[in-house]
Formats: sequence, C-alpha cells, structure tokens
Amino acid sequence: MAAKDYNPYKTAQDQFDRVAGMLDLDQATRDLLRNSLREHHFSIPVQMDDGGKKVFRGFRVLHNDARGPGKGGIRFHPQETIDTVRALAMWMTWKCAVVDIPLGGGKGGVICDPHNLSLREQELLCRGWVRQLARNVGPFSDVPAPDVMTNAQHMLWMLDEYETIHGARYPGFITGKPVGMGGSLGRTEATGYGLIFTVREALKEMGIKPEGTVASVQGFGNVAQYAIELFTRIGGEVLCVSCWDQEKQQAFTYKKQDGIDLGELFPITDSFGSINQEKARELGYEALPGGAWLEQEVDILIPAALENEINAENVNKISKRVKLIAEGANGPTTIEADEGIKEKGIFLIPDFLANAGGVTCSYFEQVQSNMNYYWEKDEVLGKLDIKMTAAFMATSEMAKKNKLYMRDAAYVIAIDRVARASQNRGWV
Amino acid sequence: MADYGSAKKISPFNRNFFNGGEGFTRIGNGSLGGKAQGLALIRDTLAAKFQKNRFQDIIINIPTLTVITTHFFDRFMEQNDLYEIVASDLNDDHIASHFQKTELPAEMIGDLRALIAQVRVPLAIRSSSLLEDAAGSPFAGVYGTKMIPNNQYDTDTRFRKFVEAVKFVYASTFFKNARDYMKAAGHSIEQEKMAVIIQEVVGLPHDRRFYPNISGVARSYNFYPLSYAKPQDGVVNLALGLGKMIVDGGLVWYYSPRFPRVNPPYKSTGDLLKSTQKNFWAVNTGKPPPHDPINEAEYLLNLDLRDAEYDEVLPYIASTYDIQSDRVNIGTTGKGPRIITFAPILQAEILPLNELLLILLDLSEKTYGHKVEIEFAMTFDPRSGRPPRFGFLQVRPLQISAESVKIEKEELKHSTVLVASERVLGNGTLNTIEDVVYLKPDNFDLKYSRAVAAEIEALNRRLMGEGRPYLLIGFGRWGSSDDWLGIPVNWSQIAGAKAIVECTLPEMSIDLSQGAHFFHNISNLGIYYFSLEYSDEYQIDWEWLDSRQVAAEAEFLKHVHLASPLKLKVDGKRGMGVIFK
Repeated sequence: MAAKDYNPYKTAQDQFDRVAGMLDLDQATRDLLRNSLREHHFSIPVQMDDGGKKVFRGFRVLHNDARGPGKGGIRFHPQETIDTVRALAMWMTWKCAVVDIPLGGGKGGVICDPHNLSLREQELLCRGWVRQLARNVGPFSDVPAPDVMTNAQHMLWMLDEYETIHGARYPGFITGKPVGMGGSLGRTEATGYGLIFTVREALKEMGIKPEGTVASVQGFGNVAQYAIELFTRIGGEVLCVSCWDQEKQQAFTYKKQDGIDLGELFPITDSFGSINQEKARELGYEALPGGAWLEQEVDILIPAALENEINAENVNKISKRVKLIAEGANGPTTIEADEGIKEKGIFLIPDFLANAGGVTCSYFEQVQSNMNYYWEKDEVLGKLDIKMTAAFMATSEMAKKNKLYMRDAAYVIAIDRVARASQNRGWV
Repeated sequence: MADYGSAKKISPFNRNFFNGGEGFTRIGNGSLGGKAQGLALIRDTLAAKFQKNRFQDIIINIPTLTVITTHFFDRFMEQNDLYEIVASDLNDDHIASHFQKTELPAEMIGDLRALIAQVRVPLAIRSSSLLEDAAGSPFAGVYGTKMIPNNQYDTDTRFRKFVEAVKFVYASTFFKNARDYMKAAGHSIEQEKMAVIIQEVVGLPHDRRFYPNISGVARSYNFYPLSYAKPQDGVVNLALGLGKMIVDGGLVWYYSPRFPRVNPPYKSTGDLLKSTQKNFWAVNTGKPPPHDPINEAEYLLNLDLRDAEYDEVLPYIASTYDIQSDRVNIGTTGKGPRIITFAPILQAEILPLNELLLILLDLSEKTYGHKVEIEFAMTFDPRSGRPPRFGFLQVRPLQISAESVKIEKEELKHSTVLVASERVLGNGTLNTIEDVVYLKPDNFDLKYSRAVAAEIEALNRRLMGEGRPYLLIGFGRWGSSDDWLGIPVNWSQIAGAKAIVECTLPEMSIDLSQGAHFFHNISNLGIYYFSLEYSDEYQIDWEWLDSRQVAAEAEFLKHVHLASPLKLKVDGKRGMGVIFK
C-alpha cells in the first residue's frame, strides 16, 4: 500500500500532464483525461456473524470509457483510498489503450480486511457491493475483475447477485471467473506469458538470441512463475528469484549458479509464492538478501512483485551486463530510477505494456462470455501473442521514431488513442 | 552435401509468410526433419545451378513454406503428457482424438496465428520427421498430410482448422501404419520426432475446388522398367489434380522420361480407356464438410473427369477417343470420352515439362549422389495470361542395394522353383522365410478384396507378434485404393511380409503395380516384390504349396509352415528373381 505521503493519483496526473504536453492536447481534453469520468462512493451494510451490523465504504471509479466499457479490478484492502482507486483506474485506461483493446479504465474497492471476515461476511460484502452498483456496471458499461485480496469466488458471488437483480444470465458482467463457469482458458498464464512475448520481441530488436541470456526475477507469484516457465522454454536461463518469506517477514533471493529449476521449486513453494528456505538450501540454492536479485550479473531484470522496487537508492547497483528490464509488476520503478536506467542505456519495457497480458486475456474472457462460446487455449494464447507483439512493436517504433524513452512512448500511444476517441465522440 | 539437420541455416519465420522476402523459413530451433531438409538442399541447388534461361516462361520454385521444427514436437508431447497415450494400444482414431484435445506450445502459437491471419489460400500441413526420407530409411507416405482450404472469412475459424491439422500430423507419428513401419525398419518409436511443414498448395481456384493441373512423381531409377527402357531411364507418373492419386496407387499415366512419346503398354484402345485416370483429387473450397479433424481427407474431394471438363482444364492434358474412327486424338476438340494421356504436353509439347524433369532429376541426383525421386505439381491457364508454374514439392534419395547377385535365366525354370519372375523389385538373397501366406486361387474374386484385407491383417499381426517373417502371395495390385484392382491393404496390414508376390488369374485384366509410393517404402525396407502375370512363362507351384502343412486357414487365404526355409535370390540389375522350395 502507498506510503503516507505518497499520493498515487498525483503521480498519475503528473505523468499525464507531461505526456499531454508532448502531445500538445487542448485544455478540454486535458481536463477530461486527468480526472475520472464518473465516481461512485457508497456504503455497504453487512450483517456480521456476531449478529451486529457493520457498514463498509466502497468505491467504483470509471476513468474513461471512450474506447469501450470500463475494465478494472475490485480491491479489498483496509488502507484503500479513493485516490489510489482513481490512479489505478486511470492507469487501466492507458493499459487497455496501449494494447489496443476496446475497453476503458475503471477500478473499484472496499475498505476492509478480508483476513478478519468470514466467508459468509465476504459473500455479503460482495453482494452488497453489486446491489449498490447494479445499474451502473455491466457487460456493456463497466466490467469488474479480481484484484488485491479478491478472487474467483468473489467474482462468482458478484455475478450471481448481478444476474439475480437483472433476471437473466450475463456472464460478461465480470471477469476472472473459473474455467467452466464463464472463465477463459489461458487466463492463469496470460500475464506471465504476455510479459515474455514482449521480452522475446525486445531481444529480437536488440539482435540478441534468447538462448544463452540470463535473467533475474523479483517475485515468485503467478506472473513470475509463468514468465520464468516461458522464458526458460524459449532458451533463457533464470539465475535467481526473490520472494517474500511470511514466517521471517522479509524477502530473500534464491540463487543457483546453473539456473533455477521450476520443477524443484514448486513443491517447496506455498500458495502465496513463498519458497521454503530450508528446503531450498537442501536443493543447493543460495539464500541471499531480498534486494540481491537486482545486483546480479545478468542480461535481463524482471521485477514482478511490488511497486517502487527499483529506486534512486539501488538503481546504481544494477550490473553493467543488464541490457533489458521488463516490468511485470505495476509501478516497480520510481521516476528517479527511470533516469538512472536511461543513463545506463538499458532498454525498458514499461509495466502497463509488459504486464498487459492479464487485461488482454480478461478482455478475451469478456468477449467469450458475451457470446457464451469459449475458445480453445491455443486460440486464446495465439491471440494474446499477436496482441502483445503488435503493442510492443508499435511502442518500440514510436520510441525510435521520436527518440523517446519506452515508457514515454507507451504513454504517448495510449493517451493519444484515448484523446482521439474522446474527441471523435464529440466530448471535447 | 550441406547439412540442414539443424535449422540454423534457415531464416526464422518473421510473421510474414508471402511477403517476408524468404520463401523458406522455420519456427523453432530443432531439426527440420527429412522432407524439409531435402527441400532446403534442393532450394540451394536450384539457386546455384539451375539454368533458368531455357524455361524463361515458367515460374519454377519451391512453394512458400515454413517448418515447425522438431524442438516443438518434444515440447508438445511433454506438455500434454502424450507419451503415455501413445504407449497404449489405442487405435488411430483414438490417438488422433487425444491429440486434438491438446494445446500447442505457447512459444509457437503466436507465429502460427500470425501466419493464418495473413494467408487465405489452401495450405498443406505435411510431416517432416527425423527419419523421413533419410537415405537408408525413407518413410515416404507413412505419416499424415492434411490439406486445408484456409479460405474462411474469419481468422479464428481458419486458425482452428489449421491447428487441428497440425495436431493431426503430430498424431500420425503414432498411427499403426507408422508404428509398424518403424518396427519393420528396425527403429524404435522413441527415436522419431516430427517437424511439420506448412506450405502453400500449388493449384488454381475453380468452382468450389482448388487443384493443380498436373501432379507428378519422377524417379531417376525405375524398379519396373518398361519393355523399351532400362531401369536407369527412370519413370514419371502424372495425374490430374492433387498427388494423392499417385500416392494412393490409383490409375495414373506413367512413362519413361527418356521416351516421353511412348505410351504405356496398353493392349488396346479399350484397355487404354479402362486403365487411365477417371477421378481426381482437389481441395474442397466450397461448402464446409462435416467437422472431422481426425480424417486426413476431411477437406478433399474425389471428383469425376466431368468436373475437370467443366473447369476447362482438360484441353491441355487430355486426348479424346473418336468412336467412329476408333482413334485417339490429342486434345478435346471432338466429342467422345476424354482420356488423361497428357499428350498435349508430352507429344505436342505445349509445355517443356519432360525436358524440365530430366534436368531436375539430373540436378537432384548430382546433389544427393544417389538415384532420386521428386514430387511436383504444375499449374497453367493460358486463358488467364499468367505464366505456368512448376512447384517442386519433395526430393528424396532412392535406396538401391549394392549386393551383387547374378541369376541365369535357366535358374528360373528349375524344378525346385516355387516362384520366378523377370519383374522383381529389390536386390539380394534371403534364407529365413519358413512361412507362406497365400490367397486361395480357387475361390478368389476381387469383389471380396476388402474381406481379404481384413483376413491378412489378422494373420499379419499374429506372425509379426511371433517374429516370423513370411512370403505373401496374392492377386492384383497390393495396396491399391481401388478394390477392383487389387487388395486394398495399407502397409501396416502386411508389414511382417519379407517377400511379396503379386500375380494375376486367367480372367484378370489388370496392370500390376508400378512401384507407387507404397512400394517405394517396401523396397527401402529390403522387402522383395515379385510381379507375375498369368500369361508369363513362369508359374507359381500351387500344388506344392497346397501339399504343405497348413498352419492356419481362413475363407480366402491359407498359411503354411515349411519344414525348411525358402531360398530367395533377386538380381536387382536385371530385375530377375527366384524363390526356391
């Protein structure tokens, strides 16, 4: 969660203002896009297991839907703020636009700690959230999805409530559903695979063959695991991976000189992506401090865990051998660190491009749900590759043509697309 | 000879099939497989040594292709836990079904999707296995090839059909036919890996169908030389439509490229009418057929010559029988039955096809240092103003034994002879056959040929299981797709035979097999193949066979076990062979 004095919405607006200047957007367009289009703030009363009533605060922000229905997750978090939700909704707009999927950006949340709620209470909370918004969200207006501390079960409760209110089946109302209940094959792999599709294309552009390249990965959750799997399959080697140790309450980096082996790490990893240190040592892994992943002699860095992990303090520790950083996490690099990366001449695949495989596959899920016809995994992953590759190429071409940093190029493409859509609709 | 075993010398697929600058690319880093290696080699030979100036008006090339290398086959098999499935005793349909339920590796799927998104012409999805077409163990025709029309408006539909075809070709690695072939060739299934060639189909669009004017197979060595020619004069088979007609051993035109104007030895005009091509194969680009991804011929049409007449392709390949004058005239100007003789090309020389084949055979032979076989397809449509096109589809070395065996003609008439012939395929000697399986001449009729095939299959399975090689004797063409020309077996049904005899009965007017695709493989496995017509001077000693101890008997065939092995000799140079009792 954000530090006390850090306001992500301000960061998002600053980023926007800078790119709006580059695009020379008119004032009305700037006013439209630097703010949310719609916001819902509401209360959700829940009857708790002890018989008492408790009222939770919920939000849904739609930043922009000029290019299509809003899309974005629902977060359950005790420190949720409306500004965090606003910033994330804006970033969703840019993410959908950069991969050119016909969706806008949204985000929702509830101030709560699911750890302290029974399943029944969580279900009531989900149903309550939908009851407040049932007329303002839907398959053709705003499509929620799982996010921090929400999962497929929460989505099914929400879907059920929505369908009960509207008296029909609308599987396209929400994404992140389990396969067989309106979910899409390939969704689990999508973010990690999508990340590696962009890495593959970046290497191609740099004239480097993936065989023989070595990467270091931060994080060992869903995104990192599938990214490592595909990266290894295209010939690369992963030297180390870092993860959070719940028991010791600190992060560690696990390193093996001839490359980590997913097959041996999976059985000693819990469902949150924490590797059992004792067993890892038995398997010959070196346990290094959490930040060591960044300092390794590798070709590629893949931060796929938390925000602000590459910052002014550690950017100079990046080895000279590193040629590429692919941001699997959201916001892993601070603005100051960006300057350091530019100076070092490292090629960067920015987060909202590199990790857009997830939302792209959510879009596929929504399309399939709306048709009530589901594709084979080959079809899903084939389309994902094409989308990610095209998005990468467009961004890279923009960067080269206008001599822009990749992050700026991606923002220019995304904001330009949304601005044009808003203008074409006659809004501004 | 350049080594194309590793794919590194071939450019990677750049997601641009027709306009990428490279007509021959690869997806993945493994091996290209035998068939694709052959094509890569001949591509370089054509570029370096082929003198195009004599054929300025013809486009001569290898149709655009990309190869999914064997690396992805391994990945596909492991990812989908398929080794367990293929190790079981499932039949081909079940294996194919299991393969359809799988997923292709994520790292290749984007390339395939990109390819299909931009290509809307029929594609051939072809096998190119590690062992396929390697000198010494060619696997021609053993694995699946699937043609897809690829003309649906929707990319998703085209992609689905395409993926189904790739999975079908992967599955064909483990079909019974292939497994039996592997066993007979002394390989284990674990040695085999499959690359897949994705190649544009050479052809022209007609009303709801797509096919080439000519498909052909040309060999620089003929195991069955025509009377006027020597084995080294070679042989060419030509067919209207897709090459499946030739591969399946159907009725097609054949001639020696040294004597292109000499017709095959038909006894009469009636014989010519009866024994030339009546049907042809095309890709179905019209109404979608019922969904059947495990059927190799799902998108193929077997059409009548009347369809080709409607498409106006016959004037350049056919002759016409004039009933009143009892003459066969080149072309289709008069009324009368059309006969696919390719006379406008071979006799009137409206296209220098034969000259081109002689040059390509020579070039291929020099490249391989072996006798060779090439496959090709050709299109031409003078009305359109487009130049004719010659598509080079495949080249493979022919295996010819080096053992020197000499047979004197007197030996063929010796009293101890069981079978003798002057038209024998193979070369060498063999003294290990103690079992004979033969069709009973007394109750044989071609109308029962399918039932005969089933009986042979059962017996073959048993003898193979017991490790007992046998001599197989039957009537008509072995492996014919036409029940009325012979026994319609596929290779797996007779794979345990070490020597095969095809012969005719008095009332049978059938030209025996001419070494079609199927028999090419038999030859390369070292199987001896005897051809014997009833009117020949040598006869089978049926009485002796009937007096042997019967090991098994079915309605149409008998299995006898001998007290001592037969002695077999084949003089490959002179095409003579004899089996002593």
